[in-house]
Amino acid sequence: MELLLTNLGHGMSVALSFENLLFCFIGCLIGTAIGVLPGIGPVATISLLLPITFGQPATTAIIMLAGIYYGAQYGGSTTAILLNLPGEVSSVVTTLEGYKMARRGRAGAALTIAAVGSFFAGSVATIFVAASGPLLTSVALSFGPADYFSLMLLGLIISAVLAQGSVVKAIAMVVLGVSLGLVGTDVQTGQQRFTFGIPELSDGIGFVTIAMGMFGIAEIILNLERPESRSVLTTKVESLWLTREEAMRAIPSVLRGTALGSVLGILPGGGAALSAFGSYMMERRLSKYKHEFGTGAIEGVAGPESANNAASQTSFIPLLTLGIPGNAVMALMVGALIIQGIQPGPRMVEAQPDLFWGLIASMWVGNLMLLIINLPMIGMWVKLLQVPYKFMYPAILTFCAIGVYSINNNVFDVYQMLAFGIFGYLCSKLKMEPAPLLIGFVLGPMMEEHLRRAMLLSRGDVMVFFERPISATLLGIGFIALLTMLLPNIRKKKDSALAE
Amino acid sequence: MPGRIPRRVLLGATSLLAMPMAARAQSWPNGPIRIVVPFAPGGSTDLSARFLADGLTQRLGVSVIVENRPGAGATTGSQVVADAAPDGQTLVMSNIASHAISPTLYGNRVRYDPVRSFTHIAMVITNPSVWVVNKDSGINSLDDLVRMAKGKQGGLDMASSGAGSSNHLLIVRFCQQNGIDYTHVPFRGAGPAMQAVIAGQVPMMSDSLPSAAGHVRQGNVRAIAMSSAERHPSFPEVPTFKEQGFDLVSTSWFALSGPAGMPAPVVERLNRETREFVATPAAQTRFAELGGSAGDMTPQAFTDFVAAEVARWAPVVRASGATVN
Amino acid sequence: MRPNTKNLISGGIFILVAAIGLWLNTDHTLGSARRMGPGYMPMLSFGLLGALGAIVFLGGFFNGPDKLEKWTSLEVAAVPIGIVAFFVGYFLADASGLFTGWYPLGWGCLAGCLGLSIAPGWRPIGLVHAGLAVFGLMLEQMGLMLSITAMCIVASFGDTTHRVKGVIGMIIFLCVLCYLVFIYELDIRVPVWPVFLTQ
Repeated sequence: MELLLTNLGHGMSVALSFENLLFCFIGCLIGTAIGVLPGIGPVATISLLLPITFGQPATTAIIMLAGIYYGAQYGGSTTAILLNLPGEVSSVVTTLEGYKMARRGRAGAALTIAAVGSFFAGSVATIFVAASGPLLTSVALSFGPADYFSLMLLGLIISAVLAQGSVVKAIAMVVLGVSLGLVGTDVQTGQQRFTFGIPELSDGIGFVTIAMGMFGIAEIILNLERPESRSVLTTKVESLWLTREEAMRAIPSVLRGTALGSVLGILPGGGAALSAFGSYMMERRLSKYKHEFGTGAIEGVAGPESANNAASQTSFIPLLTLGIPGNAVMALMVGALIIQGIQPGPRMVEAQPDLFWGLIASMWVGNLMLLIINLPMIGMWVKLLQVPYKFMYPAILTFCAIGVYSINNNVFDVYQMLAFGIFGYLCSKLKMEPAPLLIGFVLGPMMEEHLRRAMLLSRGDVMVFFERPISATLLGIGFIALLTMLLPNIRKKKDSALAE
Repeated sequence: MPGRIPRRVLLGATSLLAMPMAARAQSWPNGPIRIVVPFAPGGSTDLSARFLADGLTQRLGVSVIVENRPGAGATTGSQVVADAAPDGQTLVMSNIASHAISPTLYGNRVRYDPVRSFTHIAMVITNPSVWVVNKDSGINSLDDLVRMAKGKQGGLDMASSGAGSSNHLLIVRFCQQNGIDYTHVPFRGAGPAMQAVIAGQVPMMSDSLPSAAGHVRQGNVRAIAMSSAERHPSFPEVPTFKEQGFDLVSTSWFALSGPAGMPAPVVERLNRETREFVATPAAQTRFAELGGSAGDMTPQAFTDFVAAEVARWAPVVRASGATVN
Repeated sequence: MRPNTKNLISGGIFILVAAIGLWLNTDHTLGSARRMGPGYMPMLSFGLLGALGAIVFLGGFFNGPDKLEKWTSLEVAAVPIGIVAFFVGYFLADASGLFTGWYPLGWGCLAGCLGLSIAPGWRPIGLVHAGLAVFGLMLEQMGLMLSITAMCIVASFGDTTHRVKGVIGMIIFLCVLCYLVFIYELDIRVPVWPVFLTQ
């Protein structure tokens, strides 16, 4: 413990040097800005800034890049809450309650709890990383393909709970999402599936393309069709701060979200995404205000936002201790370090104590900075909602179009977004919910990959999923979750049948 | 971009169309040069391109920008450059995937000819593959590997960064040559595959040296064979395939190419600047760190090299069972 | 019998997608449980989708009533008109030989969206998407500024409360903002001005 404090103190002295502080701030600022823009993700930005880092000291460079990464997470929630525009998987969950809160005139409260919850989660997760990072590596390593498959399956099952209406329909949307995720090159054989010979589809349909189409564009049309609902959005802006009641409700959610996110973030590939809606489902089960879910329950913002941010901190663990990047952003950071002549991995703690502890300390500093940058801006963001909607929607449309184009520099993506906009509109008219679809779309390909790899390695023995303790436990939880979801439904039907 | 527009408008309106090719070549570079990377940001192609772009920016005095155009086994981005004007403003980071393997793998879906549709300019970096095994796998040499593979039903599990990757094809060649069974376990990129080897889920993988170098140095995994002709200077303790009695030499490469028909003076200048840049001590140190070697080839030698690579990989691709159509 | 129209239609969509998917999947080898081919997972997921679709569809006969909003006869007619316009636009642009790449698709989308917009009730969806199609068609030749302008003009017809002055002001503001954000700050790779002027 004492050693940890000494190390953190050393890290603090590195992180608080003027230059590092400055670049941490710049990183957070850039990150927040790009997080707000749909389509422009941290990957594109970091690769753009990579050449700048060649001339910087390694510690400064990585502190700045890390700032961009979690700054983008912060910024992403802002558009999800204000405009129903999720830029990444975890913000899909934020739209569910956050956008509803905004429509009730509680946008300020939603943004505040997102910022405060994220800060708290980030701080706790940072200490978690510092204290037990190397230890947790073995947890990540003990996850085999069978365990990952079961985790993904559990994720898909609980994602059906995101739906407000029929569970069967929600599961069908999950499966539809999984099916959409099949488009593209098969990882195992390199074969093209469902691409209709279109080379642009060989890497699959883009997540941002679907999310912008089904959430952003479809929402514009729905708002244009209901002029009366727009006024709700623009006139009713109450206090920016949380009421006492809201704060009391949010605290346990933040704590639970932080715990869940810290654990799931360690798993490379999917861990961070799972944490957000894992937390959402947990809140929906545990909250005393279950009936408010779907109309803007603050728990549904506080929990997932905290989980998401905790996970984005702990997702540094595999990178720092093994040198294995958990996602594309991490891969870029490994690249930046290697170009500096530093190899991330188990020896980094001893070989580069300045960098290791400096980065960890700067994560906390960065989170604090994000809070300082974002809290005063909440008032400004909420004012943005008072812009008449007829001026707002062309702006949203423009930002979506440019953002989607800039991902691959290809207009085909714009036409894809157009198609998903129409499909998203159709879905909302038919009460088919887009959130489960998006999660199926993200987790489906990973699930297939792990399923096939597990079967390949076990030589076709299905028992591998039940013999491994982790996998068996996860499958058990999934089964129970499915039962508890379906049973009330069946009971409800019985009740209503009896009532007649 | 601001500030340049009026000049470009002027140029375009008056003289550009009438100017002969040679005169335009003299004014090269004319504005920013873009290097298309046919992969997503963050991979080794992307990194080497950004590193090169940084060096060329300083040497040519114009900004050299990297543009990622990923997709379809690196053929999407390469096609963009094959179709671009051969004025030296648009180049591609050509590599073993886009210019040696994918043309066979993707067959008639690829509209460009890897040799004739391009002006091949300069080799930038080459690196061997290294075969690494789990520390507790009990495998210490290729002989051990072959023995183990023969003893296991369905052969040994062998991992690579993806189906149709050069590392996958190396496994195919090795197993064909030695008549052993294998189960290829493809991953989405080298990172997850390496994790599986460290965790012992898969006993071995074939990886490019740059992505494996750190793990080998830190002792996460054990390197048993290097696919270069000679032992690698940064890893003198790792024997080559040849030394162990297996006739297999393979290097992957990242290079600079442009559309077919680029003016000779531009090609020569780019070739010279690239070779000088990669030969600087700063660049050499970084390449050594990555486990690669700086390229040193004339445009003609490099063009012949690409042609030889296409011919060499075509039968292996067909034998691998990796198909796209 | 209280039919749930929404569930009948969505169940039908699921079944249709599943059927098309399974049909396309006949191109892919299934493989064995040990060495699953590229067709294995699609078989599972489309199969499951079909089954769930059937449950939703059959349930739709009983768990209603949940009717769709009433359509006017013009709205009913506009849907097939839009679909036909899409294909006519696509094939005309393709056959004219003037356009390559994604341009025919863009013309198809534009024609389809405009076709849909003949019904006033479909104008929000039709014209907003038509704006996107215009943006896609113009971006790489006409540059970012003109594309934004054209997209906003088309999309603003989707809302009846727009006035000319407001639209002009909005376009100028958006062009300046996008120039600052995307070109000046982020430097994304896209022509800003028409290509024929700058080359």
